[in-house]
Amino acid sequence: MLEKEIIQEQGFRNVRKNGQVVGFQVRYRSCYYRSIWLSMSLGFDVAVDGEKFSRDQVTVTIGGRTYTQEAMKAITDVQWPISEAAILTVSKPGGLEPGVHEVEVGWGHAASYMPMEMGNMPRRPQSADVDAAMRGMMPFTEKRKIVLVV
Amino acid sequence: MTRQEMTRKEFLKATAGAVAVAASPRPGLPPAEKPGPKRGVSIYSYSDDLFKTATLEDCLAAVGDLAADGEQIGLEVLANSHIEGYPTPSDAWVARWAELCAKYRLKPVEYGHWVDSKLRSEKPPWLSTRESYQMLVRDIRLANRLGFTCGRTKLGVIDGQLTPVENWREFIKMALPVAQKYNFRMMPEIHPPTRLKSKMVDDYVDFIEKENATPWFGLNIDFGVFQNRRSRGSQESRGAAGQAAEGRGASGGRPMAPGAMEPSKVEDMVPLLPYVHCCHAKFMEMDDNCQETSIPYPEIIRTLVAYNWNGYLLSEYEGADRNRGGAFQAVRKHHVMLRRLLLREA
Repeated sequence: MLEKEIIQEQGFRNVRKNGQVVGFQVRYRSCYYRSIWLSMSLGFDVAVDGEKFSRDQVTVTIGGRTYTQEAMKAITDVQWPISEAAILTVSKPGGLEPGVHEVEVGWGHAASYMPMEMGNMPRRPQSADVDAAMRGMMPFTEKRKIVLVV
Repeated sequence: MTRQEMTRKEFLKATAGAVAVAASPRPGLPPAEKPGPKRGVSIYSYSDDLFKTATLEDCLAAVGDLAADGEQIGLEVLANSHIEGYPTPSDAWVARWAELCAKYRLKPVEYGHWVDSKLRSEKPPWLSTRESYQMLVRDIRLANRLGFTCGRTKLGVIDGQLTPVENWREFIKMALPVAQKYNFRMMPEIHPPTRLKSKMVDDYVDFIEKENATPWFGLNIDFGVFQNRRSRGSQESRGAAGQAAEGRGASGGRPMAPGAMEPSKVEDMVPLLPYVHCCHAKFMEMDDNCQETSIPYPEIIRTLVAYNWNGYLLSEYEGADRNRGGAFQAVRKHHVMLRRLLLREA
């Protein structure tokens, strides 16, 4: 099963290629009650310890397949299940130091049954008093301190 | 491994076996359905727990535990979210689904699905009539395969009044024969801020009458349209002051905020009942007497029984404690209330 928190601690690790650390991965579960078609994702924005990464530095793996964020926009027949965390792979030569990091992920989705364009809405910061009913209904940014081991 | 650990493990194993026996189906076929309002649950209620603290089977077991002897509880799922491999689940998953429904004495009733008009873009052009029809038909077939006879058919909207997309009549009309073939009742949900007396509902009723669409196209009334008090953590109390009050543990059942929209009157649903095949029994807060603090349930149930309405009331919980594991107990309280009210009116 998934961790209750949206940013998952398990799976937070550096990625190695040909013996070199080329980046890191973090798993993100959907905060929405509904699984969506990939084309309805409005994109993932990742920052770690204040360092922001552009969307073309972040690929998304769902159902064992890896997509660039640009390519996801055209995929209208694959679902991102709410039961599966998306693996965000961030390109960063050298990766992250083992230890505690503050990971921030902004995400939103289109919603056909809501009148507003979600893509134009600000990603509201989450705080303790934002009610569960609204979480997942609007684009937002999630932050969590998690530990990278390797 | 010590002897003590072994004993504990054996004890747990024995306990698990006992639970499985208690939840196993009774021999014989389920009894014929009684006419009238019947109890059901939308798995949506458990969204904050599902796949985090509870599996789908855990949620189905929780629903099954609400059934009295010889009774089945109606079930609503959200197709995209709850069907593994949606929209093309494996035969093995479909077989497992049927097994779980039998094991926990659940009756698949309503299949929540969406016509995703904004599939490709948030801006028009949205889905064409043909594409919308194809999406609908795919869901109708899958719903039928899983045993569902009703659909909460969510249409894309174009404005703040939740007016449906302009081509809804065209693709619904195309899908009517398919719905009939697969014994599936398509139903948009009448949900706040929409009210029962509104142009949208009038438009749906005009369409149903003109196309002779009953029962293949109808309405699902969400009881949120009747909400006339504020519950703890409800959207109406979500201003800064409301949140502060909530933090201090203010009780529910307070008057609505000044300027809040008038709710629909319970009597407003009477002329609509012939078109209603399922209701979302929305609830926001159950007190320890198992009464809902913000929605006039006694009057709603009395009216449904008095007018011989037949169908399922699907509990849909949107209370403030959902993200703290509160949904399971809230649904149990809701079913104490529904059962009491249904027995009283019978």
